[in-house]
Amino acid sequence: MFNLIRRDVILQKRQLLFFIPFILFFIFMNSHPIMTFLVASIFIPFNAYAYDEKAETNVLLNSLPYTRKEIIASRYLGAVLYMILAISLSSLALFLLDKPFTMRDMAIGSGLFLTFSAFTFPLFYIFKQGYIFTIVLISFLVLAGIGPSILNYVGKYLTPLSQFLANLSGETLYIGALLSALIVYCLSWGFSQKIYQRKAF
Amino acid sequence: MENVIELRNATKKFKGFSVENIDLQVKQGLITGFIGENGAGKSTTIKMMMNLLKPDAGEVKVFGLDFRTHEKEIKERIGFVYDGNVYFEGLNLKDIRRIVGPAYSQWDDDLFYKYVNQFDLPLNKAIKTFSKGMQMKGSLAIALSHHAELIIMDEPTAGLDPNFRRELLELLQEIMVDGKRTIFLSTHMTTDLDRIADYIAFIQRGKLVFNQSIQDISDQYALVKGPLDLLDRDTEKDFVHVHRFKTGFQALTDRVKAVEDTFGNSVVIERASLEEIMYFMKGERQHV
Repeated sequence: MFNLIRRDVILQKRQLLFFIPFILFFIFMNSHPIMTFLVASIFIPFNAYAYDEKAETNVLLNSLPYTRKEIIASRYLGAVLYMILAISLSSLALFLLDKPFTMRDMAIGSGLFLTFSAFTFPLFYIFKQGYIFTIVLISFLVLAGIGPSILNYVGKYLTPLSQFLANLSGETLYIGALLSALIVYCLSWGFSQKIYQRKAF
Repeated sequence: MENVIELRNATKKFKGFSVENIDLQVKQGLITGFIGENGAGKSTTIKMMMNLLKPDAGEVKVFGLDFRTHEKEIKERIGFVYDGNVYFEGLNLKDIRRIVGPAYSQWDDDLFYKYVNQFDLPLNKAIKTFSKGMQMKGSLAIALSHHAELIIMDEPTAGLDPNFRRELLELLQEIMVDGKRTIFLSTHMTTDLDRIADYIAFIQRGKLVFNQSIQDISDQYALVKGPLDLLDRDTEKDFVHVHRFKTGFQALTDRVKAVEDTFGNSVVIERASLEEIMYFMKGERQHV
C-alpha cells in the first residue's frame, strides 16, 4: 500500500522539479499564505489523478495484487501525506523568505484542501475518464476567484451564523473547521470506495 | 488434473452484448488457447478471470480461491499481458520495475533483468517509444518476473509481425518446461495455436461452444467434401454446417464416425483446422 503512494513520486519526478519554483511563485506574488498552502497541497494529488484518469492505469492497478479498497485508500491517505509534505515545505520557504504566517493559516489551508478534495475526488470515480481533470481545475480557479466574495456576502447577510462563529474562540473555530473538513473527507473516502468497488474496467 | 481457473455459469450483461453461462475449466500445466471472433466475448471473459469485471451471476475461482476473500493471494500468482500497453507510457522500464516490482512478494530482480536482456529491451527509454512488439515483450518480462503460476494473455500476438509471433510462441513453450505453469491466451488468429496449445476453448457470441484438448478436437471434427447429390435431409444431420458449391459440397462434421458409416468412400474426409471449425460454426448459427 505504501508502494501505491510512493508510485506518485516516481510518476511525477519531472513535475516535482517544478514543485519548489511553483511554491516560490505564489510566495513572491505575495499570495496569502493560506492560498500558498492550498495550491502547494493540491499539486501532487491532483497531478496523480491526471495520470490515473487513463483507463489503462486502472486496468494495471487492478491486475496487480492490490484490492480496490487499497487503491482508494492509497489515494486518500496519499493526499493527506503529500499535503503535510507540501505544507511543511511551503512553511519552510515562507520562513526562509521571512514572510509572516500563522498556525491558523496552516489549519485553514489544510482544511480547505481537505474540503476541496472531498468534493472533487469522487468525481474522478463517478464520471467518464478524460474530462474531469479539466473540470476540477476550472472549478478550482473559479472558486478561488469568487470564493472570498461569497464568504463576505455570507458574512454580511447571515448575521446569526457569523455571530455564532464570532462568539467561538479562535482556537475552537479553526480546530472545529479542520475537524469538520476531516469528517467530510472521510465520508468522501467511503463514498469513493463504494463507487470504485462496483466499477468495471 | 487440477483446474487452475474455474468459471461456473458466469454471466455478464452489457447493453447490446453479453457473455452468458460460461462454464470453463482451465487445466494446470497446459497451454489453453481461447479463440473466437473479435467481439465474441474473449476479453470480457478474461476480465472476469482478473476480477476487472464482476460477473452478474455465477462464480469465478482461480487456484480454487474466490476473489471476494483472496484477491491478493490470487493476483500474486498471476502474470498478465494485455492487448494494449497498460504501463505508464512516459516511464521507462526501470521506473516501471520500481512501481510494479514491490507489488509482488515474489518479485525477482535477477529474473527481470535476465528477460530484459534476452528480449533486447532498453531500460532507459520511455515505453511510448517502444514498437508494438517491444511493448509486448516488456509486458511479458514483467509478467514472468514474479514466478507466476498462471499467465493470462489477452491477444498477445495481435499487431505483431509473423517473425515476432513465432518468437513469442516459442518462448511460451520454453517457459512451460517445468510443468507447473499454466498459460491461458486468447487470440483470433487460430494458426498461432495449432502449434502450441494443448487445449482449445472456443467462444462464439458470448457462449462457450467447446473446451477440449487439441487431440479430441481433431478426433471429433472433420471436413467432408463430396458431390451434391449425396446431400438430403437425413444425411445432412451429421453436419454442423454445409457449404454448397456448383462442383460439390464442403461440410464440417462433429460426428466423424457417423459420416464414415453413411458415406463410406464416396466422400473425402480431412482434418479440420481450427480456422475451418470457427468458420463453419459461424455459418451454422446464422442459419438457425
